[in-house]
Amino acid sequence: MKDSFFRSMTWLHTWVGLLTCWIIYVIFFAGTASFFRDEINLRNQPAIHNVQAQTDRVAAQRQQIIKGFDYLNQHAANSPSWRITLPEERIPYLVYGYAKPKEPGQRRSQFVNTQLNPNTMQALPPFVETKGGNFFYRLHYQLYYLDAITGRWVVCFASFFMLLAIISGVVIHKRIFKDMFTFRRNKGTRSWLDAHNLSSVLALPFHLMITYTGIITLIFMLFPYPALTTYDKGMRGFFNDVTPSNNVTNNAQGSADLLPINTILDHVYTKWPSADITRVQVSKPNMAASTVTVLVSPAKALRDQSPRLLFSGATGKLVAQTDDELSSSKALYESLNSMHTGRFATPLLRWLYVLGGIAGCVMIGSGCIMWAKRIRERNKGKASFGLQLVEGLNLATIMGLPLATCAFFIANRLLSPTLAGRGEKEVTAFFLAWLVVALMALLKRDRLQWRVMAAINALACLSVPAINALTTQGNIVSYLLNKQWVLFIFDAVFLLFSILFLVQTEKLRTASSASKKTANNLTNNKKRQKHD
Amino acid sequence: MIDLLSFSLCLFAFNGFALAKPAHFKTVFTTRPSKLQSNLLLIVSWISILLSLLFCVVTQQGYGALLFCGFMGLSVLIITIFYNFIEKLIKPFSFLNMLLIGSSGLLLIVNSL
Repeated sequence: MKDSFFRSMTWLHTWVGLLTCWIIYVIFFAGTASFFRDEINLRNQPAIHNVQAQTDRVAAQRQQIIKGFDYLNQHAANSPSWRITLPEERIPYLVYGYAKPKEPGQRRSQFVNTQLNPNTMQALPPFVETKGGNFFYRLHYQLYYLDAITGRWVVCFASFFMLLAIISGVVIHKRIFKDMFTFRRNKGTRSWLDAHNLSSVLALPFHLMITYTGIITLIFMLFPYPALTTYDKGMRGFFNDVTPSNNVTNNAQGSADLLPINTILDHVYTKWPSADITRVQVSKPNMAASTVTVLVSPAKALRDQSPRLLFSGATGKLVAQTDDELSSSKALYESLNSMHTGRFATPLLRWLYVLGGIAGCVMIGSGCIMWAKRIRERNKGKASFGLQLVEGLNLATIMGLPLATCAFFIANRLLSPTLAGRGEKEVTAFFLAWLVVALMALLKRDRLQWRVMAAINALACLSVPAINALTTQGNIVSYLLNKQWVLFIFDAVFLLFSILFLVQTEKLRTASSASKKTANNLTNNKKRQKHD
Repeated sequence: MIDLLSFSLCLFAFNGFALAKPAHFKTVFTTRPSKLQSNLLLIVSWISILLSLLFCVVTQQGYGALLFCGFMGLSVLIITIFYNFIEKLIKPFSFLNMLLIGSSGLLLIVNSL
């Protein structure tokens, strides 16, 4: 019984892992990059490279909001909505934006944004169109070139498979504590197994947490039935119920001047004296039905939805607000969500999340390589179609994604700033680079091909900071001297990966010459034996 | 400083867990540990890791448990590198680790006075 249970778990672990490992690798890779979504946005937008973080950020917020209202009243008094986005710890600039009236058939209004340096209150140079970190964020949970809902379903199923693989992996790893700190070098598949086990065990709590909470983030798509049976309007009704919305002034007719924002801010600071306001939204400004929504940062609380207050724009009366004390179910959902995103994590915790993400990539990558190596050994070098497919997908995914990422960042620097659809072209560069690697993997998947890809990746990683230095005013040295840590670390990470890929190229070269020597020795020995 | 103390306690705990294993103990001290030594190492390591968890949760509130998980991952990675690639440096590393615990703890006490 025990043996058959162990065997079934091994079978389960192998197949749930193998069937989805490449898609899970993409999800983990993009998710890991998404932890630095704001930093990637900053790097991809040269206009904000020299904006210094405000020292008295929270204290300056009141004046920034008042000036924003004056600006928007002057430039877009009749716009359907306004948005003032204040600088945050990881977002150094200020945005005053207003919506253009919707065109027929348009789902969402297009915003006209003016970005300002909060230290000088001067407008920043025009922003270039870029997908930035949002590309990796969307790729992480809804993939790309797929309908959003279909993409999310694929990610959901992959996450379920991942969860099954983790649990069955813990069950079959008999020596989980005995082998905890063990890595046997140069032992063929044994070394791959050690790498797989080690990367799984060292971040096991992270892997479990991130996979489980990942499923929870999409729970209303997976399990909508309680909401569907309770609310007449289905999921929409449910979301309306849990999001504070304006039911008071919605039907008011005619125009009415906006109340001075100072009055509304007084209310906010009375309720939350040390409020760190992140955004102010005004709907239907200068109308009787207008509302002013003030969103504040939840700071260190495990809460995904920002606490907010909704005021009538005409009277200044508080019309709705988020709950101060969350119900237990809402608190559970919000805490699991914010654990997954790590949105309010400190820089230290953010790096530890990234470490967990990298461990996840190593775990998945070593798992699929190990499977292919074992089957090749078992078949004594002969490769079936299935094995060739797995080997090809391994090469395309593991070596293709880093190259595609480099292509994305290089395209961001090389594409003309005025090019129409520039953001989408960065994404095209990403997928084209990946496609090239996939085609190469289709032709050949041997050690030489891995070596070539490692060398190409080393060069590509080196190109990212090099091209940045040639196309912008800064470079890794100036970033270090000017204490522009985000930009410095970004370039340094690419240089580090370039070195790692070079080491891999060299390792693969010595490994192939060693195996050639062994093969030659074996043939010579056989010849000698025959001769004797 | 409290984060440094929590992390060094976590690192110390995993170093202890590794040393409690006969094979790793032999790598460092060229002899196998006695039953008493193994048990002592395990007890000290458990106390150290629980202290690390306590400091993380008390100071970081909601994200404390996550920070602790991150510290555990990083500690296991560092210990594995030392025990598999740079065995000779384990003794100075352990000494440095203890020094770090002592100095960060002392600084915290001084700051709170």
